[in-house]
Amino acid sequence: MSDIFKLVMKRLGLGLVTLLVVSILIFFAVELLPGDIAQAVLGQGATEETVATLRERMGLNDPAIVRYLDWLGGAVRGDFGVSLISGGSVGDAITQRFLNTLFLATYAAVIAVPFAIVLGVLVALMRDTLFDRAANILTLTSISSPEFFLGYVLILYLSVKTGWFPAISSLSAGMSFGELLERTFLPALTLVLVVTAHMMRMTRAAIINLLASPYIEMARLKGMPPWKVIVKHALPNAWAPIINVVALNLAYLITGVVLVEVVFVYPGIGQLLVDAVAKRDFPIVQACCLIFAATFILLNLAADVGSILTNPRLRHPK
Amino acid sequence: MGRFSDKDVLLDIEDLRIEGYSDETWVPIIKGVDLKLHRGEVMGLIGESGAGKSTIGAAAMGYARDGTRISGGSIEFDGMELTTASEGERRALRGSRIAYVAQSAAASFNPAHKIIDQHTEAPVHYRIKKRMEAQEDAKELYERLRLPNPQEIGFRYPHQVSGGQLQRAMTAMAMSCRPDLIIFDEPTTALDVTTQIEVLAAIRDIVDQFNTAAIYITHDLAVVAQMADTIKVLLKGEEVEQASTDRMLSDPQEDYTKSLWAVRSFKRPQKARPTDGTKPIISVRGVDASYTGGDKVLDDVSFDIYPGMTVAVVGESGSGKSTTARVITGLLPPSKGDVLLNGEPLPPKYTNRTRDQLRQAQMIYQMADTALNPKVRIREIIGRPAQFYSGLKGPALKQRVDELLDLIELEPSKYYNRYPPELSGGQKQRIGIARALAAEPDFIICDEVTSALDQLVAEGILKLLDRLQRELNLAYMFITHDLATVRSIADEVVVMQNGRVVEQGPKDQMFTPPHHPYTDLLLSSVPEMDPNWLTTLLEERGVDNIGEAGSETKDGSEKTQSA
Amino acid sequence: MSVFVIGYYTILIAASCLAVYFERRRVFMLLFSLTLVSFVAGIIGGVGALRTITTLAAVLSLAAGVSYAFKEFLVQIARPGLARELRTAPLTAAFGMFVIFTYAIAGIFAPWIAPHGQAEVISTSFAPPDANMLLGADQLGRDIFSRIIYGARNTVGLALAATILAFVMGAFAGLLAAVKGGWFDQFMGRFADVIMSVPSLIFALLMLSIFGTNLFVIVVVVAVIYSPRVFRLTRAVAGNVVVMDYIEAAKLRGEGDWYLIRREILPNSTAPLVAEFGLEFCFVFLLIAGLSFLGLGIQPPTADWGSMVRENATLISFGDVTPLIPAAAIALLTVAVNFVVDWMLFRSSGLKG
Repeated sequence: MSDIFKLVMKRLGLGLVTLLVVSILIFFAVELLPGDIAQAVLGQGATEETVATLRERMGLNDPAIVRYLDWLGGAVRGDFGVSLISGGSVGDAITQRFLNTLFLATYAAVIAVPFAIVLGVLVALMRDTLFDRAANILTLTSISSPEFFLGYVLILYLSVKTGWFPAISSLSAGMSFGELLERTFLPALTLVLVVTAHMMRMTRAAIINLLASPYIEMARLKGMPPWKVIVKHALPNAWAPIINVVALNLAYLITGVVLVEVVFVYPGIGQLLVDAVAKRDFPIVQACCLIFAATFILLNLAADVGSILTNPRLRHPK
Repeated sequence: MGRFSDKDVLLDIEDLRIEGYSDETWVPIIKGVDLKLHRGEVMGLIGESGAGKSTIGAAAMGYARDGTRISGGSIEFDGMELTTASEGERRALRGSRIAYVAQSAAASFNPAHKIIDQHTEAPVHYRIKKRMEAQEDAKELYERLRLPNPQEIGFRYPHQVSGGQLQRAMTAMAMSCRPDLIIFDEPTTALDVTTQIEVLAAIRDIVDQFNTAAIYITHDLAVVAQMADTIKVLLKGEEVEQASTDRMLSDPQEDYTKSLWAVRSFKRPQKARPTDGTKPIISVRGVDASYTGGDKVLDDVSFDIYPGMTVAVVGESGSGKSTTARVITGLLPPSKGDVLLNGEPLPPKYTNRTRDQLRQAQMIYQMADTALNPKVRIREIIGRPAQFYSGLKGPALKQRVDELLDLIELEPSKYYNRYPPELSGGQKQRIGIARALAAEPDFIICDEVTSALDQLVAEGILKLLDRLQRELNLAYMFITHDLATVRSIADEVVVMQNGRVVEQGPKDQMFTPPHHPYTDLLLSSVPEMDPNWLTTLLEERGVDNIGEAGSETKDGSEKTQSA
Repeated sequence: MSVFVIGYYTILIAASCLAVYFERRRVFMLLFSLTLVSFVAGIIGGVGALRTITTLAAVLSLAAGVSYAFKEFLVQIARPGLARELRTAPLTAAFGMFVIFTYAIAGIFAPWIAPHGQAEVISTSFAPPDANMLLGADQLGRDIFSRIIYGARNTVGLALAATILAFVMGAFAGLLAAVKGGWFDQFMGRFADVIMSVPSLIFALLMLSIFGTNLFVIVVVVAVIYSPRVFRLTRAVAGNVVVMDYIEAAKLRGEGDWYLIRREILPNSTAPLVAEFGLEFCFVFLLIAGLSFLGLGIQPPTADWGSMVRENATLISFGDVTPLIPAAAIALLTVAVNFVVDWMLFRSSGLKG
């Protein structure tokens, strides 16, 4: 077991280092801003005095490395500083919205993951049939469409024309869970469509790749019926690729969620990020970027660790 | 064929035709082959690559690989017609009555299950045995196949067991339902000679003990001579001839078969070292080397190569013979010791060597496919070194390329503008030789240059190399694991094992006892055409002393990892 | 039961029977399952649903017909080697090529095709379509049709520029890393890992918030974000070539890095790299469309598909599909490129195996 433990630890360590480097990147990117940040935020019309006050408030007079360590230390505790526009705590502004985004992503994932994997395996088994070709064209169309296109199409047909679901996901405090699911159905469905397509294609490729192995042919030549070949011989080796597919697509959800939130005016962290970018509210931008990047890195890490743990060669060392 | 009567026919293939799908059309692979196999008979199918041996083997199970289809003829197994049987009926035969042993056991065992679970799968599935019974039976078979530690070895995962042992475990697995017929598809091709012996012995024993019929597919004549009662020779999807092993070896009828048999007869006179004080062209002195972060792969290697002579470096995979070549060419700087060229020390890294030093030592590779850039025309492949080292241009360059093509016996006008993928394996290897010659070297490293080629073609290459050596006074370092090649062309032999030189000297001395024990093991493990060779050898060595003695442990483990 | 419904089923069933008669099993299965689906759809959705199915089938067969004709056209004008490969191309790939061709024409000849200028205000806001304006006016009274034509030039042009830049940077670094190996290779690999560990859209937003949104910044930022992907692929493709013996032979001859890249590696990497260029273009195109949809791409009044969707989104709540047209234009081009790439990938993998 020590080999596998070492590998996992090494991978975790690497993930941590990546996270650190990314945090440096995010923090110091703002330092690259041509000219003075306070000046840039306030615009050309600002007086010397107000600029100086803002510099003071942002702590711009400290050296950058001190400010970075302060910022990172705060970020670990959930304190991302103060918004330049509203003056409120960034952490407070983010928390609820982050939970909302997580809810939306989970909603989509719970539907998409089992659906996509089952379909992906089916398509792989029925490869080169009419069904497979149709699925190929459909999934290709789906991943080729911008998320906002799918979103608006769904709004047009499932909301405006039929009135089945609300077009805008306004959330309020006292909603029941059922109501919540209904209100957020369209954004979730949009994400499901995109992610399912990606996942199906990747699962199909992984399974087909596996079915070409000599040990699968050996199982067939041992007279095993097709279902047994799949369940006993292909599946135990398919976990690593499937885990990878799932994690990669959950990571993909993170990017997709920004556009979808804007289309459906969903009060999530993506919407917040886009607003902050437009207003150049850097503390919020940095905080959101760090959260997105961290989730992304963690998911990829989970995929790697998952494939290490399910690899029979590593699980049973010599 | 007197031993077998027509009543006992087990497998009767008539006019079998199989087609493969390529370039949007179906092209014939097997063009009407007949095959009659009796109970307890072992038939050797031999032929060069592309002869369709493997395809026939699979067809005997009623199985057509992806991209192939059985387009005609009949396959009758024990009275049952497989071409018209339903998929379910055919499947019920596989594993229970017809079993299969694949070339690469490491890739054909499922990495996710223990060996014994894969062994018991078929008998349990066919309700022939209960799980526990099947396990006991597996252990007994492991014992009979002389696997080490038969009680426990089955409970390991495939990657925990070495290549030679896996191949025996797979033979045991094929036996699990006591089938009437086993198809062996090149079961020892991927193994070293010393490992090959024990697998061969095990297979032969078990087939004898259970009186199982077998089809043994291989390209190695000497191997098939040990295993088969009957030999069938195939060429490009058609039968050349068939006869009992003894008759086939002593009295082949067809020209093609005769030429196959004659291959091993080429021999050139042995040369001795010059005595007039000529310096060796290449001198390897006390070289140690290791790959980054790894163990030592070369340990105090020393030998000399004199102008105009051929030194064969012999050893099994992992012995360090290719690494030695890398040290000489400067791809792997040694950690100790040095390499002299005409008495002058060479810089350890090739990047620090002068053009002239690089020019004098050239290399010919094992795989002509990867040695020639598929997207570059022949004229540039051969012309580039001439242009690079001698600065030839225009008509002079063209003339030089034509000259080189003549030298390697290829018609210049026909090949000048072609690309490597359009050539056959032997032609590619010739182009590789021409590229080396274009640099006008004094010394050429030949890295297993004939082992990827069919035997007839290989012989042509050896003859060509010999002629070139005489005409151009070249020195060769001939890396090989094939002792037959060594016998035919070497002047001196260097035997390597685990990164050390075990023994070296002139060829005639090396092939007459007394030997170093490892040289002995290596020499005696090379199969010979005599059908009784294996029997005699086993008697000499004793059943329990074969194999593993020399090399198994180290490179066996490497094989399982890489698969 | 209207005449339409009776005709609909008659044609379907007759065609199914004909398929059976001529033993076209696949065609029959397709037609007859369509018949069965139509029964269900007709009961639930009424005549409307059947009409939708008819329209869809008509559009599909039109697309198939156009693709088929276009393929034949290409086969006729191509040189013999290429023509043989084109002949085996699936209809989807031909469709993709046709769409790409159309977009190229629209983009190159935009000023001549579009009836009005892209920034020209010619009507009231959201004016309905008329003889002068094929698709009506946008929120400022500009002709939507003209803006879509110009969008082909602006949006696709921008994406193409960014992709080319990303490709040049990534491919060059990848080839160099493969040839040089050692610490350079290691460093570039790690560097690519870090950039790729931030989701692309998020990275783009961060950079654009800092450097502002002018065209040059967008091209550079997007290229920087996507070049690691190109780097990785090129490194992998070139890595497979670098281990070949012919590279070793060239190295031992004393050839320089540049010769190795140009004469030995590149000729063996073009097929996967061309396919990757197509894929990369899709990613870049979608990212840029997303950015302009968020208002961070090409700035007004220049016509751009992403921002056109955003600007006219209000029309959707009135059940108008016009705002979806630029979005559909994005989707169509991406699908088209993907179809072609799919075929190329299949071809290159088929040749190997």
